[in-house]
Amino acid sequence: MSAAKVLVIDDDPQIRRVMRSTLTAHGYQVNDARSGEEGLEELRKSSYDLVLLDMNMPGMGGMETCRMIRSSSEIAIIMLTVNNAERQKVEALDAGADDYVTKPFSTPELLARIRATLRRLPQAPGQENLQPLVAEGVNLDLSSREVTVRGQTSRLTAREFELLSYLLARPNKTLAHRELLQAVWGPDYGDELEYLRVFINRLRKKIEPDPSKPRFLVTDAWAGYRFHLPQ
Amino acid sequence: MTAVRSVNIAEAAPRPSVDTQQAPEPPKLSRAANKTFRLILRSTVGVGLVVATTFFFSRLVPLNATTAGFCYLVAILLIATKGGLVEATIASIAAMLCFNFFFLPPVGTFTISDPQNWIALLAFLATSLTASQLSARAKMRALESEERRNEIERLYSLSRALLLIDTARPIVNQIVHQIFTTCGFAGIGLYIRSTGEIYRAGLENAEVEDKLRESAVRSVVLKGESPELVVTPVRLGGEPIGSVALSGGEFSDAALQSLVNLVAIGLERANAQKVVTQAEVARQSEELKSTMLDALAHEFKTPLTSIKAVTTDLLSGSPNALQPHQHELMTIVDESADRLSKLVSDAILLARIEGGTFRLNLGTHIPSSLVNGALRQMKSLSAERDIRVDVPEELPPVRVDAELIQVVLTHLLDNALKYSSPGSPIHIGGRMGDGKVILFLADKGKGIREDEQEKIFEKFYRGKSEHHLQGTGMGLPIVREILRAHGEDVTLTSSPEQGTEFSFGLPIASGGFPL
Repeated sequence: MSAAKVLVIDDDPQIRRVMRSTLTAHGYQVNDARSGEEGLEELRKSSYDLVLLDMNMPGMGGMETCRMIRSSSEIAIIMLTVNNAERQKVEALDAGADDYVTKPFSTPELLARIRATLRRLPQAPGQENLQPLVAEGVNLDLSSREVTVRGQTSRLTAREFELLSYLLARPNKTLAHRELLQAVWGPDYGDELEYLRVFINRLRKKIEPDPSKPRFLVTDAWAGYRFHLPQ
Repeated sequence: MTAVRSVNIAEAAPRPSVDTQQAPEPPKLSRAANKTFRLILRSTVGVGLVVATTFFFSRLVPLNATTAGFCYLVAILLIATKGGLVEATIASIAAMLCFNFFFLPPVGTFTISDPQNWIALLAFLATSLTASQLSARAKMRALESEERRNEIERLYSLSRALLLIDTARPIVNQIVHQIFTTCGFAGIGLYIRSTGEIYRAGLENAEVEDKLRESAVRSVVLKGESPELVVTPVRLGGEPIGSVALSGGEFSDAALQSLVNLVAIGLERANAQKVVTQAEVARQSEELKSTMLDALAHEFKTPLTSIKAVTTDLLSGSPNALQPHQHELMTIVDESADRLSKLVSDAILLARIEGGTFRLNLGTHIPSSLVNGALRQMKSLSAERDIRVDVPEELPPVRVDAELIQVVLTHLLDNALKYSSPGSPIHIGGRMGDGKVILFLADKGKGIREDEQEKIFEKFYRGKSEHHLQGTGMGLPIVREILRAHGEDVTLTSSPEQGTEFSFGLPIASGGFPL
């Protein structure tokens, strides 16, 4: 496998220098951009596997950049935030980020997050036999990571796809928050309920006929989530 | 009582000085004398007119008594129309005497021979008196209505002026000035009860100040020693909020009351304006503070991010990557960066809490995951310690700001790690109590002396024996402020050499879980 390509978007030159040097040393191919606008331009020119995106930037700002990237691409995005406020983290995930890291961070932690985000789950046993789900106007094609609801097709990001396929492989069974987090995000996770909340909501928007009254992705209060498969 | 500030309007308001100082009213004494003098003058003119009539008709154009009587009546009516009742009455008596002396036989004496002429003379007197009275009354009415019209005009321009008051300048001064310029009073005093201030224009004596205060306190109308001074309480909703002293004006009681009501409304508006302005200023300064704190956090944390990224990367390399002394030096840089980062976070959090710029982001959370989250954040510091966690999963969910409660837990844990020996255990537990979830954190450290137990919650206080330990002195104040914002508080139990336990309650959430 060739080295993953990472684009660092940050307005601070020192951070760009450190990231470029560190990530290159750890075997990534790195490029950087000084602003959201420049980053979007760079993404149009060549393809990347992951974007490290600073939240606080003059001009367009990280949040808006994230939304713009997400509107046309399923590329992995990790946001870097200074503010430790939960609201901002949820906002970042809502804007389409796969994960976030709070500044200042330790390099091993960042590398672990990058690896986790880039990691593709090995095919879970039985997953290859998954039949496309066709029910109540929803057509979920797991092989192409595409979902069609009443003729509207949308693509799932890698993380959304992993979460959905994990749930779908165990239909009608309540899966605990911790189990889902560790299976989809990695063994270092377990208490980040806000990740689940945001990603389940994102999935609901894509597959539920009425996201406010979910039929497939059901919340089991206090316990976890369950994929309800109509018999 | 509050200090009295007497403000001469000439110094308080920049522009009005011209009006107040250049146009002093004539002295009060001469005003009264002037009135009497004019009355005498008009009476003399009236009597003069009667004498002239007498001379004209007795010497130049002799008439009979009947015609002369009518001519006298015409003269009296003229006098009554132009002058007042007093002048007309004096002229009537003068005319009666002249009529008797020059026209009623025997002419040239005050005696009357024919009894019929007595009746004529009395009828003349009665007619002329009635005529002058009627005429004077009509004139008075006209004068009064003219005065009312004048008052209404003045009140109208006063109310307009009060509405157009410049709220950027002291409003009470302007009210006094506006009354002064629009209503034609010689002197005005305004006493504001809430501040104890007195604003005066054209009134000098200290007696006015006492009267103003008395009037406001007792809520009664007082007259001054000089009869023109009236002191009226200014009431708003029945409550006296101050008083107004007015002198040298010609306002009726009703107009005076309207004026006082206008002043009350003006003052109320001034107060409302003040409150609005203060709230706006407070909001703006809070917004500014919040923005500055965010910028500050960003500016400090950005270079720290570069430093941390470098140190952690170098330290995470294979053991041979750095020489032992390089590894040691790099560890020092790394720890210092951590410390600086914590210092910045604590200082900004404390400033935010104290500045009131933070709002609780309340949500429903399970106590055990709050504790686990905090432990995860402290993983690097607490990895080598014996930490027993005993927070039952069955504890009911609590309604708190999860982020801030985790700040509380990490600060308490940080404290326990620092102030107990490395080998001693730390116990984190949870239980029900008093209808809330109680979380506690206990260490087996040296304990906190009783005289220090309250002081450790003060900002920047450091334990006497712990000056060698690194800390910001902001941890426990932050803990207390966060819990107080939740309507709770932290309790401390400590005994020497037995250890310390911090515990706090968290309110139980009602209703479901918002996942």
